[in-house]
Parts: sequence; C-alpha cells; structure tokens
Amino acid sequence: MAARERDDTGGQDVLRRAGDASVLILTSLADGSKHGYALIQDIRGFAGLQLGPGTLYGALDRLERLGLIEALPAEDRRQPYRITAAGVVALRDHLDSIERVSSVGRLRLGLGGI
Amino acid sequence: MPGPRSMRLVESALRCYPQRWRSRHGDEAAEIASMLIRDGTPAHSVAWSYLIGAARMRLVIEPRRRLGAAVGALLLAGSLGVPVALLSTSAPANAASVAHSRTAHPHSAHPRNGDSRPADPRYAGGRGAPDGCDQHDHC
Repeated sequence: MAARERDDTGGQDVLRRAGDASVLILTSLADGSKHGYALIQDIRGFAGLQLGPGTLYGALDRLERLGLIEALPAEDRRQPYRITAAGVVALRDHLDSIERVSSVGRLRLGLGGI
Repeated sequence: MPGPRSMRLVESALRCYPQRWRSRHGDEAAEIASMLIRDGTPAHSVAWSYLIGAARMRLVIEPRRRLGAAVGALLLAGSLGVPVALLSTSAPANAASVAHSRTAHPHSAHPRNGDSRPADPRYAGGRGAPDGCDQHDHC
C-alpha cells in the first residue's frame, strides 16, 4: 500500500503505469502550457506519431488525477494544461530511467554506451 | 471544413462519454475532431479513437460509482433488517444465483438440497459462465 501511495504522488514508476501517451504529453508540456490540438501537433512533430484524440483525453484525465498536470482557465472552447512540479519530477525520473536502459542496450548491442 | 456526415459520426462517438466528461470536454473534443479531419485524418479513425476512449472511461471510472451504489444498497439492506451474516457470507448469494443453473451443474450446492458445501464459484454465474460475467449487465 505504501508503494502504491508513493507511486500516486509522483514516484519513479508513476509514468510507467500511466503509459507512453502520458510521457509524450508531459514531454510536450515541459516547454509550456498547451491545449489538446496543440499537444497532438507538437507530439506529431517531435515523436513522429499521431496521438488519437480519445487516447489524448484518457491520458490527460489520468495525468490530472495523478497531479502531474493541471488545467488552466479555458480559452474559448480550448482547455490548456500545464505540467506541475510533481509532473516535472516524474518526467525527469522517467527519462533518467529510460536513459539508463538505453545506455545498457546500446552497450550490449556494441553501439557504444555513454 | 469536414462534412456533416463525418461530424455526425464523431458526435455519435462523443455521446458515448459520460455526461460529466461531455460537459467539460465535449465542445473542445468536437473542435479537435474537426481540425484533425480537416488536416486529413479519416473521420472514422477519429470517431473510433473517441469510442475506445469512452469505453475505457466507462470501464475505469464508472465502476467506482457502481461500488458506491453497492455500498449504498448494502446499507439500505442493513437498515431494512437483512441479517449481517447473510450479507457477509458468500454461500447464500452463490446458492441464489445457482438456482437458475441447477441443470447446468448438478453438483452445485443449494441450501434447499440440504447441501451445506459452498457453491462452486466457477458456476456462480446464473448461466454457468465461468468468469461470472453475467454479473455485469453492461457487457
């Protein structure tokens, strides 16, 4: 139970459970607040994949419940979101973890590590 | 600007979301769909994405509400004088649901048969479903 509570408040595994879409959204929000369509466009730009709108809203809902993002006052019909301090910590931890795995993988493939 | 048929498809998918979600995100979701379709994304793909999202939301969020309703029902049953022992043991509940499937599984326990063994949970579903799926009418 303690581990679960730690995860829910932004532990290292929180994004692993929240899914890839959540990582993409947090990465997109890392340089400023965005609304749904801007998130889809940005993610298409840096990751080369298009997030379905249903997937986007599911991930936004999850991230908001986890306290990793927060909704800003709506502009017209658009709802912008921004990353929270807990979101920054969770994203940084997750990227560190990916980087460690990436280094080991590259090393074992003979592609050179860090 | 996407055609009315495309938008009708998307709006049908959006209607599958819970009312609370639609009142918060509905307008924006329709606008995003419109822009994605204008950008070249097929309307059925957008609608499908919303449909899957709605199904996920119903399966993940709504069960919590059902749990609340179940707790409420238990409290109501308690206030009406249903013995706590009846609510806390699984055997009578299983036996009640097995009543419909006695022919499907003749060895299932039934209090009227004088059999005090707990009912086989694999046959707890009224139609003999091994996973008790018939407990979820929404399936």
